[in-house]
Parts: sequence; structure tokens; C-alpha cells
Amino acid sequence: MIGYGTWLGAVRQLTLGLAVLLLAMPAMAAPSRLVADLSDSHVDITSSYHGTELILFGAYEGAPGDDLVLIVEGPATDIAQRRKEKKAGIWVNGETLVWQQAPSFYHVFATDDLAAIADKDALSKADVGPLARGLMLVAGEAQGSNGHGGGALATTGAVTAGTAAQQAGLSRNMNNNGLWQLQPALISTQQDMLFRAQLSLPSNVPTGDYLVRVLHFRDGVAISEKTTDMNIRKAGLSALIYRFAHEYSVFYGLFAIVFAVASGWLAAVAFRRG
Amino acid sequence: MYIYLPIAEVSMHIGIIIGLGGGVGFLSGLFGVGGGFLMTPLLIFFGIPPAVAVATEANQIVASSVSGVLAHMRRGNVDFKMGGILMVGGVIGSSLGVALFSFLREIGQIDLVIQLSYVVFLGIIGMLMLSESIRTIIRSRKSGAVRGKLHQHNWLHGLPLKMRFRRSKLYISAIMPLLLGAFVGILAAIMGVGGGFIMVPAMIYLLGMPTSVVVGTSLFQIIFVTANVTLLQSIQTQTVDFVLAGLLLFGAVIGAQFGSRAGALLRGEQLRGLLALMVLGVCIKIGYDLVIQPEDLLSVELLR
Repeated sequence: MIGYGTWLGAVRQLTLGLAVLLLAMPAMAAPSRLVADLSDSHVDITSSYHGTELILFGAYEGAPGDDLVLIVEGPATDIAQRRKEKKAGIWVNGETLVWQQAPSFYHVFATDDLAAIADKDALSKADVGPLARGLMLVAGEAQGSNGHGGGALATTGAVTAGTAAQQAGLSRNMNNNGLWQLQPALISTQQDMLFRAQLSLPSNVPTGDYLVRVLHFRDGVAISEKTTDMNIRKAGLSALIYRFAHEYSVFYGLFAIVFAVASGWLAAVAFRRG
Repeated sequence: MYIYLPIAEVSMHIGIIIGLGGGVGFLSGLFGVGGGFLMTPLLIFFGIPPAVAVATEANQIVASSVSGVLAHMRRGNVDFKMGGILMVGGVIGSSLGVALFSFLREIGQIDLVIQLSYVVFLGIIGMLMLSESIRTIIRSRKSGAVRGKLHQHNWLHGLPLKMRFRRSKLYISAIMPLLLGAFVGILAAIMGVGGGFIMVPAMIYLLGMPTSVVVGTSLFQIIFVTANVTLLQSIQTQTVDFVLAGLLLFGAVIGAQFGSRAGALLRGEQLRGLLALMVLGVCIKIGYDLVIQPEDLLSVELLR
């Protein structure tokens, strides 16, 4: 006579086996299924914004030894790179070089060191790392830049890929201002099925359309990729003031003066009585 | 509580902004100066982009000068005719200054020029003030001062376009105040200051104006120079952050009240000596940063 417990165990084993089979079947037909989503795909920068955290999560059909690479990439922008030189005893900015259309934000998450996941060629082929796609460095002038963006670019020199030192400097500077994170933050997975990463947006996060890419690596090759969108916008009062300043700059300037004169006068009156 | 500054595009703790305003306001009330030469470097130190710091500080100085000039007007300590000519020069000079500012930013040298201007002009003014106040302190101990002429006559008094300035008891060429206004206007636009720390001694020693009217007249023309900078920077570079300016002002107004009360406890030459030390301190700090090797020779800027 077969015990009830043993019978139940057999059923459980059968179900598990079936489930594994069902999961494995599409993997043989198609690359591998992968879904990804964000806890919030719209980030508003309001007056009280001081950085924020998002959860990037999803599911994949993994096998033991598989790896995931997550990339959060901000809108492309020109990045001026300046080098200080000593002239007449003081440190001054020397030549300005411009990295063309580089990602303004680039954070990498992975289940392991990138070098352990795949070799350089495979990573480059899968477009991992902002320098993988061959960023170009141009001698040029940042025209009309206002210290925090808003400029254009006038190229005056040859286009190069940049020296190793220039590339390292770009990565280092962008890492220090919190906009790039090329050394991947480790993420953990559950039973090769679920993943979850915590994305911290700094307070100086660039606005615009972002792309979130999730890559599934097996044996050093990217077998599947899923992308999802995210956008970061100024909102509320801070958006209003920014638009006012940029679109009606004459009125903004006059308003700033009237505001200053009125508050200065008010302060004088208030403290004369007090 | 943090506040995201819409034009500076950084978030800062509201307590830090008001505290900065209050601290600099206290010192400006204590010494009777605008405090732009302290505020602009401090804002840059706290991570506000230099261009935004300079333009926003101009906006704040409009407010603090209006607030300050009203008391001087009530006492009749403003020479409007002299102020008007200085203002014309100042508006021309600050317009040139804003254009120069844009040009220097394009070639990536604005930070250097701001720093050098601070080192040179704070250094000169600080040294002059310090030696003057030390001499006064020594002389007051010896006592028995010799009464000199009202002012020295020199080649400047030979220039054409002579005008009579009743309030200042002067009959001098209009070219001098015009050039002085223009020169200080250029510096005001580049350094993010009102320029009182140069204007006031220049009015006394160069133009020979009586000390009773210099501060009021200087404040009067600073209003127009900084208003002009505010407008031009708003149009050309969109770097005036009036949220930041308003919060700084709020702190500064309160700080200035305590400062002027504390100032009544100290003697004039002691105050000037302390102010001179502070001016030299800022000069040395900025000069030191120019001379030592930066930690990282490379830097980046997003152009967008």
C-alpha cells in the first residue's frame, strides 16, 4: 500500500518536473524570456526634490551560472573636458576637449564583475559601457555654456577616440559627480528567476528620456535583452520658474528686479518699525 | 528641508541658504558693506555653479542696497547728481562686464578671471584698509592730529567737463566719476559684487567726497548697476535664480539687524581693521587655491 505522504510527494515531484519542462521549452525555441519594470517610470523634479530611489525589478528564465547586467542610461549630451595646466605659477584651464553625444547618466548594475560575466568583445558587442560604442573626442569650444549646461559645441579640431588617460578622466569625473557608475553595483537574484536593483538618482540628475536595459548573459554571451523607458522632468513650481526664465527671459529679469526692490523696501520698512 | 533651486539646478538645505544669508548679513551690518565679496565665493564653495552665483548675487544686492539706501536718503546722505553720473558709468561698465563674462565663459576661463579679480582687488583694498586702520589706531594713541586740506588738488582736477556737486561740496570734471563708475561696473559684473568696497575708498581718496555721503551715494548707484547685471544676465545666460536670491535675502535682512547693533559696540578704526583682515582672508584663500596643484587636473562640464 502506498502511503498518502509518498503519493503527495510523487505528485509534487511531477508538478515540479512539469513546471521545469514548461519553463525550459520556450527557452529552447526562443532566446529566453525576460521582463523588467520600474517602481516609477516618471520622476518629477519638484521644489522639494533631493534625489530619489527607484526599484528596478523583473523576471528572467535563468540557469545556475547565468548573469544579468542592468544599465540605466540618460539622454546623450556633449561633455566638455578641461585640463588644468600650470602657467606663470597658477593653475589655469588649458585646452577644452568635447566628448560628443556621451550619456549624461550611466549607472551599471550586475550580478558579478563585468570581467567575470563576459570578455571585452562580448561586452562591447552587447553595448555595455559608455565607451563601448566608441565615443568621440573633439577639440572644440563650448559655446555659450553657462556653467551648468545650456551650451552648444563648435568643433575646431580633429576627431579622436581619446587617449586612455582622457577616457579614464571622463569616467572618473563623471563618477565623482554621481552621474556615472561604471563599476557595477551588485544585484542579487532569486532562484535564477527574479531580480531586483535599487537605483539612486542624485540631486543633480539630468532631465530627459532615459533608457533602462536589462541583458541576460549565459556562458559569456548576451542571449536576451529587454528595454524599458523612464523619463525625468522638472515639474510644479520649479518647472514653471525654469520655463519662465528661459522663454520670457526679459520679463524674468524685470520680475527679478521688481521682486528685489520690493523685498528690499519691505525689509527696510519692517525693521524701521521694529 | 531641502529645496531644489530651479535655475542653479541643485538642491540645497534651506537652513544652509538662510544661514549663509544671515551670516553674511550680520557681517555686512557690522561693517557697513554689501557682503557680495563674501557671498559669491561662499555660494561657489557650496556647489552653486559660478555663473549662477555671480548673477544671483547681483539680484540679491539690488534688494539689500534698496533696503540700505532708504535710511541714508532719510538723513539726506545721498548725492543724487554724483550718484547719477556714477550710475551712467556703472550701467555702461556693467554691460561691458556682462559681455566680457559671456566671452570668458565661452573660452572656459571665467573661473580663472573671477578668482584673479578677487585676489588682486581684495588684496589691494585689504592692504590699504589694514594699513590705514593701523595708522589711525597708532595716531589716536599719540593724539594731537594735524588738520589737513579738505582734499588734495592734482592733475585730475585739470580735466574738462567740470560740474558742481553741491551735496559733496565739489567742483570737478564729470569724466572722473564716469570712468570710476564704468570701472567698478565691469568688476561688479564679473565678480558678482556691488563694488562698494572699491567705490567707497575711491570716492573718498580719488574724488575727494566727504565721508558722510559716500556710503549712501555708493548704495544708490549700486542699485542700478546690479539691476542692470540682473537684467542682462537673465537675458543672455538665464543664470539668475530668484528663489536662491530671495532666501539669501531673507537671512541677510535679519542678520544685518544684529550686525549693525554689534557694530555700535566697536570703534570705527577697529571695525575697519577687522574688515581688512576678513577681506585679506578671502583674498589669501582664493589665491592659495590658484597656486596649489588641484587634486584632479581634469574636469568635466555637461553642455546639453
